[in-house]
Amino acid sequence: MTTRAYAADTRSGQALLSVRDLSVVFQRHGEQPFAAVDGVSFEVRPGQTVGLVGESGSGKSVTSLAIMGLLPARGNRVTGVADFDGTDLLKLSSGDMRDRRGKDLGMIFQDPLSSLNPVVPIGVQVTEVLERHKGMSRKAAMPKAREMLDKVGIPDPDRRLKDYPHQLSGGMRQRALIAMALACEPRVLIADEPTTALDVTIQAQILQLLGDLVRDSGTALIMITHDLGVVAGLCDEVNVMYGGRIVERGLRHDLFAAPRHPYTHGLLGSIPRLDGQRGEPLIPIPGSVADNLPWDHACAFAPRCFQPIDVCRSQTPGFVEDGASALRCHNPVGSPHGHTAQPDHAEVNDQ
Amino acid sequence: MTAAAEQTHAQPGDVLVDVQGIKVHFPIKKGVIFDKTIGYVYAVDGVDLQIRRGETYGLVGESGCGKSTLGRAILNLEPPTEGKVVFDGTDIASLRGEELRRKRQHMQMVFQDPLSSLDPRQSVESLLLEGMKAHGLVKDTKAANARLRELLKAVGLPAASLQKYPHEFSGGQRQRIGIARALAVDPQLIVADEPVSALDVSVQAQVINLLEDLQDRFGLTYLVVAHDLAVVRHISDRVGVMYLGALVEEAAADDLYAAPMHPYTRALMSAVPVPDPVVEDRRERILLNGDLPSPANPPKGCRFHTRCPWRQPTQCDTDRPALRVVSIDGVPETHRVACHFAEGIASGELQPHKVEAEVVDPHLGESDAHGSLIGPATTVEVTDTP
Repeated sequence: MTTRAYAADTRSGQALLSVRDLSVVFQRHGEQPFAAVDGVSFEVRPGQTVGLVGESGSGKSVTSLAIMGLLPARGNRVTGVADFDGTDLLKLSSGDMRDRRGKDLGMIFQDPLSSLNPVVPIGVQVTEVLERHKGMSRKAAMPKAREMLDKVGIPDPDRRLKDYPHQLSGGMRQRALIAMALACEPRVLIADEPTTALDVTIQAQILQLLGDLVRDSGTALIMITHDLGVVAGLCDEVNVMYGGRIVERGLRHDLFAAPRHPYTHGLLGSIPRLDGQRGEPLIPIPGSVADNLPWDHACAFAPRCFQPIDVCRSQTPGFVEDGASALRCHNPVGSPHGHTAQPDHAEVNDQ
Repeated sequence: MTAAAEQTHAQPGDVLVDVQGIKVHFPIKKGVIFDKTIGYVYAVDGVDLQIRRGETYGLVGESGCGKSTLGRAILNLEPPTEGKVVFDGTDIASLRGEELRRKRQHMQMVFQDPLSSLDPRQSVESLLLEGMKAHGLVKDTKAANARLRELLKAVGLPAASLQKYPHEFSGGQRQRIGIARALAVDPQLIVADEPVSALDVSVQAQVINLLEDLQDRFGLTYLVVAHDLAVVRHISDRVGVMYLGALVEEAAADDLYAAPMHPYTRALMSAVPVPDPVVEDRRERILLNGDLPSPANPPKGCRFHTRCPWRQPTQCDTDRPALRVVSIDGVPETHRVACHFAEGIASGELQPHKVEAEVVDPHLGESDAHGSLIGPATTVEVTDTP
C-alpha cells in the first residue's frame, strides 16, 4: 500500500465528495414525472463514514446510482452537482466516468451473487479491475488480487482465486466484492446495503472489515442502509431520508440521543431493541410509504406524523442547516408546538 | 404467560405441541435417468421441544440452521424423517390424508412473503372464505359475512378490503391479510415463519403489535421463526436457538438475553447491532470466523466446535452435547444448554482463545466427502433467506 496524498488531510475537513442539490426525476412515456431523489445535498471527507438511512422508496439507492453514473441512459433526468475533488461527476461523459469507476470510486452492492459474473473465476474478476485501470498484465495482477483477497479475510486465497462465485458462501462473496471494489484503492467507497443479505454473525465480520478499511486507508465511505443499528455502530454522520429528501442530518451521537424529526423519532421507537425492555408495546409509525409523495405543497411525512400542525399540510418545510446538524421539519420533536405525548395505537388507513 | 407459570414445569395438559426427537433429512440425488441418493442434508437433526398453550415460542438461528424446516415439520408440511409431533394429544407425524387435513384447522401458518403466499387472482373475501369452507365453518352467507368483517376488524383492515385483490395492498396490509387467513379457521396454534422480515422497519412494529394483540384476544399459541433476535426477544416468552439442525440453547426470553450461555448464542447476540451509538461503542463483539458448515456434512461432536472460541481439546470434537440443565446458581431449570463446558464458560474459568487459528473452510469437508457433487441446487431448498 502506498501512502497517498489525501491521507494527510484526513482531519482537515476538506470534502472529498460533495453532492449538492441532487435530483433524479424518472419519466416514462405518457406518465407523470416522478422525483425519486429531490434536492439531496451531503458531503463526505476522507476517512469519514457518512450514512444514508431510509426505508424502501426513500431514494437512497437512486442517490448512489446517480453519483456513480449507473442509472439507465434514458427515462431519467439527473440534475445537481456531485463534486469529486474538483470534478463534477454528473457532467462527465460515460467513457470518462468509466475511467473513474473502480479507480476513484468503488461500489459494493447488496446482493453479491448477482453482482459477480457467475462464469468467471473470482481471481479473474479481481484482476480485471487492475488490468483496466492500472494497465497491469493479468500475470502481474494475480499476486495483487491474492493480496486483496487475503486482506479482506478470505481464507486460502490461492485456491479461492480459481473458484467461481457459486463455490463461495454469501459472506465470502461479499468479501470478494469488497476486494474488487478496493483493488485500485478508491478514494470514495459507496456501500449499498452491503450486509442486508447476510446473517448477523457474518454481518458483524463485514462491518468490522469495512470499519478497519476506512480507518487504515482513509477511504471515504458512504454507507446506505435501512438498519439503524448498523448506522449506530459505523457512521460518523447520519442522513435520514424520506420520500426522496433528506429530512434530518446529525452526528451519530447527537442524532440517536435526541432525534428531532418525527420520522427519525418514530423509526427509533418502532424497532425492538435487543437490550430494551421486553413486554412494552412498540410504537409503530402509522400507515406506510406512499408511492408518490407530495413535497410540493406540504410535508410528505405529515400523513404519518404524530404531531402535525396546520402548516405541515400547506407548506413545504425547508432544509435548515445548523452546523453539523440539519432538519426539514415545521414542528420538530421537543419544539414549543410539539407535544411530547406518544401517538396512540396506529390506525391503518393508508389506502 | 406469567413468570410463575414458566418456572414450574408445565403440567401435561399445558403442553400443546410436544416435539420428540424430530429429524428431517433431505436426500441429495444424482443421476439423469436413475436417481441415486448420494447423501442427505441434515436440515433438522434431533430436536425436542414443547410449546405450551398460550405462549409464544421463538425459534432463532441463521439461514440454513433448519428453523423454517422445523416449523414446517411441526405442521407436517414437511413430513419428518423420524420422530413424533404430538399436537393436543395426537401424533401429527403419523396422520395421513383426511385426518391430517381436519387437524390442520387447529394449526395454521403465516408466511414470510405475503405477496407470494396469497393467490393474486383471489379477492380477499375468497381468500378468507376458502379455508373456512374447507373446514365446514361456513353455515350461511350472513354469518360468514359477519365473520369476515370481524376478521378484518381484528387485523385492522377496512371492511371495503373484501372485494380487493392482494396487489392493491401495501406490504404491511398484505401481511395482515395473511394473518386474517390464518385466523379465519379459529386455530389454536399459528406458526409464523419470518412474519415481519419482508416489511419496512416502520411497518414491522405494526405487525408485531398486531400479533401480540391477537394472541391476547384469542388465546393463540405462537411458534415464531425468525432470524432477527431483537424481534424474537420482543415477542417470545421462550426462545430456542438453533445451529445446524439442532437446538443449542433454550430459555425464557429474559433469561436468555440476560445470560446467554452457549458460545454460539453469545456470539449471535454480540453481533446484533443496537441502534444506539453509546451502546455500540462499548460493546464487545465475539466475532466468529468462517461460515456455517454444510448441513450435508455436519461436523462430528458438537456442531459448533469448528467455530467455537471456547473449544476445548477434549469432548468437543467427539461427543455431541445434549440440551441439559446447567448447575449454576441462579440459573433456572428452564434454561437448558447444549454445551459440555457451559459451567466453565459462565464462571469465566475458561477463556475464549484467539480465533485466528480457527479459520474454517466449510467447503473443505464437503469436497472431501463427495467431491464437488453437492451442488447448491439441493441445499438451497433448506436454506432460507434472512
